[in-house]
Amino acid sequence: MIFDPILDIFRGKAVTIPPMDGALKPNTALDDAPVALEVAAPDNLCSDGDRLIFSSGDKVFALKSGKVEEIHSFDAPVTALAVSPTGDLAIGLDNGELGLMPRNGSPRELPATANLACPTALAFDGSHALYVAQGSARHRPSDWAVDLMRKNAFGSVWRIDLAGSGSAALVLQGLAFPNGLLADRDSVIVAESWQHRVIRLSANGAQKPILEKLPGYPARLSPAGDGGVWLALFAPRNRLIEFTLLETAYREQMMRDVPREYWIAPALASETSFLEPLQCGGVKTMGIHKPWSPSRSYGLVVKLDAKLRPVASFHSRANGRRHGVTSVAEVGGRVFAASKGGNAILEISPEVLR
Amino acid sequence: MSAGETTVTAAPIVEMRKISKLYRGVPAVKAVDFDLRKGEIHALLGENGAGKSTLTKVMAGVVTATDGTMVWHGKEVSFQSPFEALEQGIAMVFQETSLVPSMTVAQNLYLGSEKFLNRLRGIYISAQQFLQSLNFPVDPTATVSSLGAAKKQMVEIARAVHHNAEVIIFDEPTASLTPEEKRHFFALMRRLKARGVSIVFISHALEEALAHADRITILRDGELVITGDAKEFDREKIVRAMVGRTLSGEIYNKKRGAEDLRKPGARVLSVQDISMGAAVRNNSFSIYEGQITGVFGLIGSGRTETFKVVSGIYKRDFFAGGNIELDAKPVRYTVPREAVKDGIIYVTEDRKAEGFFETMSIAENLYAGLLAANLEKKAYISLREMRALSKDWTGQLNVKAINDNARVVELSGGNQQKVVIGKGLIQKPRIVIFDEPTRGVDVGAIAEIHQLINRLADSGLAVIVISSYLPEILNLSDRILVCRQGRIVEEFAPDEATEEKIMYAAVH
Repeated sequence: MIFDPILDIFRGKAVTIPPMDGALKPNTALDDAPVALEVAAPDNLCSDGDRLIFSSGDKVFALKSGKVEEIHSFDAPVTALAVSPTGDLAIGLDNGELGLMPRNGSPRELPATANLACPTALAFDGSHALYVAQGSARHRPSDWAVDLMRKNAFGSVWRIDLAGSGSAALVLQGLAFPNGLLADRDSVIVAESWQHRVIRLSANGAQKPILEKLPGYPARLSPAGDGGVWLALFAPRNRLIEFTLLETAYREQMMRDVPREYWIAPALASETSFLEPLQCGGVKTMGIHKPWSPSRSYGLVVKLDAKLRPVASFHSRANGRRHGVTSVAEVGGRVFAASKGGNAILEISPEVLR
Repeated sequence: MSAGETTVTAAPIVEMRKISKLYRGVPAVKAVDFDLRKGEIHALLGENGAGKSTLTKVMAGVVTATDGTMVWHGKEVSFQSPFEALEQGIAMVFQETSLVPSMTVAQNLYLGSEKFLNRLRGIYISAQQFLQSLNFPVDPTATVSSLGAAKKQMVEIARAVHHNAEVIIFDEPTASLTPEEKRHFFALMRRLKARGVSIVFISHALEEALAHADRITILRDGELVITGDAKEFDREKIVRAMVGRTLSGEIYNKKRGAEDLRKPGARVLSVQDISMGAAVRNNSFSIYEGQITGVFGLIGSGRTETFKVVSGIYKRDFFAGGNIELDAKPVRYTVPREAVKDGIIYVTEDRKAEGFFETMSIAENLYAGLLAANLEKKAYISLREMRALSKDWTGQLNVKAINDNARVVELSGGNQQKVVIGKGLIQKPRIVIFDEPTRGVDVGAIAEIHQLINRLADSGLAVIVISSYLPEILNLSDRILVCRQGRIVEEFAPDEATEEKIMYAAVH
């Protein structure tokens, strides 16, 4: 109704979250999945053909046949990784640096670009161009919670010409924390976390929504073997956080006075301290944490089909431990998911859902 | 036999011989023999459209038989009205209660037997005593509309007992009851039996029949299949007799695996935390294109109300009423027409009251659907267009009528339903909500309506089927939502769901 925005001033705006149903129907597939590797805060999964490449803190590792090999250690936490068709590894760091590392060589730093200092995701467009998602122009990738609580939309997507001068061209700015990229023919698919959506950007910056109003915060995207796409959602949305985002004065005070780990904000893992918000919201009966309780953290991987529509999902619910899934990658037909909050790389099987 | 129970005597008090009933030439029951003995509980089983209700309606004088005779206490009778049957001692408790909702319980009990001068207080006192004698915890001063399904059922039963009925016919008495209420109901049935009352008990729940009936009669497609003592039956034997190799078997016994289910298309409708009074409470779900979403729930679970809010028939709460998004854009319909314009149509469960104009022809009804949507934006009614549309849609939906000018009220239930569906589909919908699409529809029409619903989903429409008949939900749906106490409480894939799982979610 056209009067709703006016009436909402008096009666209060409805704070609602799209339900997890249909293809997003909750299950325990992530909790049931076998652990491929237990490692602290794994992130940025990608494949160089036969190996699973991932980061943990400031190090990059390769996993093959159950054996882990350290590829390189950096000066700052690794926040983004991508592998080119020729096996080159692109790296983004929390301090804003971008680097390129041949498969059997040393890394070299890419020329710094003004205003490009928060790499959250990388994607090669062939071997000669690299898309870079900058989460925010004002914060580091590790300060993502601050960026959300300030309701910023200073993110952007860039395209770096690797074949030529190495200059970066801005594709689009004004995005609310772009956090996942996937090059797709002459366009790039972007996961925009704070807008809870996935959009397609063409080379001229025109955007087209693909998935909107997701029930969580989308993170990395990766191609699936069957022509579809894997999407990781690193935390669920809930009404308390959405309500907090409407209350500016409260948020300001919370950010000023409360330690960050206890903010009413999404988290990669929760239930580690009684000081956490939403602990009281968690429904416990006879000491058992009920899976449908409201929670700050959750594990969610969504399989999209070739038309980018959700067809299946893998969950770790409120009572699970495989939370904060930030990225997924397929290596030789096997699918791995990084549970950053659960400190594990999981091997998931779509067959489980059938 | 336990103490207190009367012995079932062999002599029948009701005998129905070769009873046939035709509705517009279509037989609902065909030469059925049925007898009822004094003090027995006789379960009448059969699938939807088997003729159970029609046979008992003949017994209770609701309809008259086309052929055959009925013997009551040794005398041949033909009741012309339910009142006549009730005076003789045969009462029927209908599936949909026949109580006057705006009257109190006591007034309903004494309806039809009022004196010239009535003292309301006196009625309440005697009603209170009478209800207590039956052990019914119902307040006689309560308005019937404020009662739940189980208490309404109790008032219906009390009314039957109050009229000193010797025979009480229960049509699906337990469909809307919770397990606890069912226990009370069966205890009552045993008490009635102990008082010598004969009971005909129509049910889809086979276990109930096996547990409580003395004898079982099974009908299939209007014909008698078998009658016998309950101890001669088991579940398999009943199912075999009920289903056989009939059309209903084709409809409801399909085995579907994951590969037979349609994959979801785009999310067209997202309902988030909608509330409407006490009927719908913080209900959230999504609807996808190209799929049939089945919605199961007992009466009073809020499923119909939820979808009436979605389609603009009811309004959600003004404060904290939630959010409905169509194609990710919020909508709030104040009248159904706005929803129809956006492509949402609701095919009602109560077609006689809400579905069609009964005195108008098929063509006029179909055209009314088009006018309501205002798709043509014409200032005049084109008779030629009306006839062309009518011909097209009656052909597509296979509406069997003498011609397009036949009045809808003259059609059979199945054909009426097809007209109601046609009236909606003519509005070029994107989301079709079917509420009990096969209620009161014959078996042949059920198959056709199911095929139509499948065709709509195959063509990419988002289809919602609300039904209280589990086999229908299981066989039509690509996903099943279960509604309880005003909200969706569970979602199943049809290949993982069973009737027991769905029912458990609906009542617990």
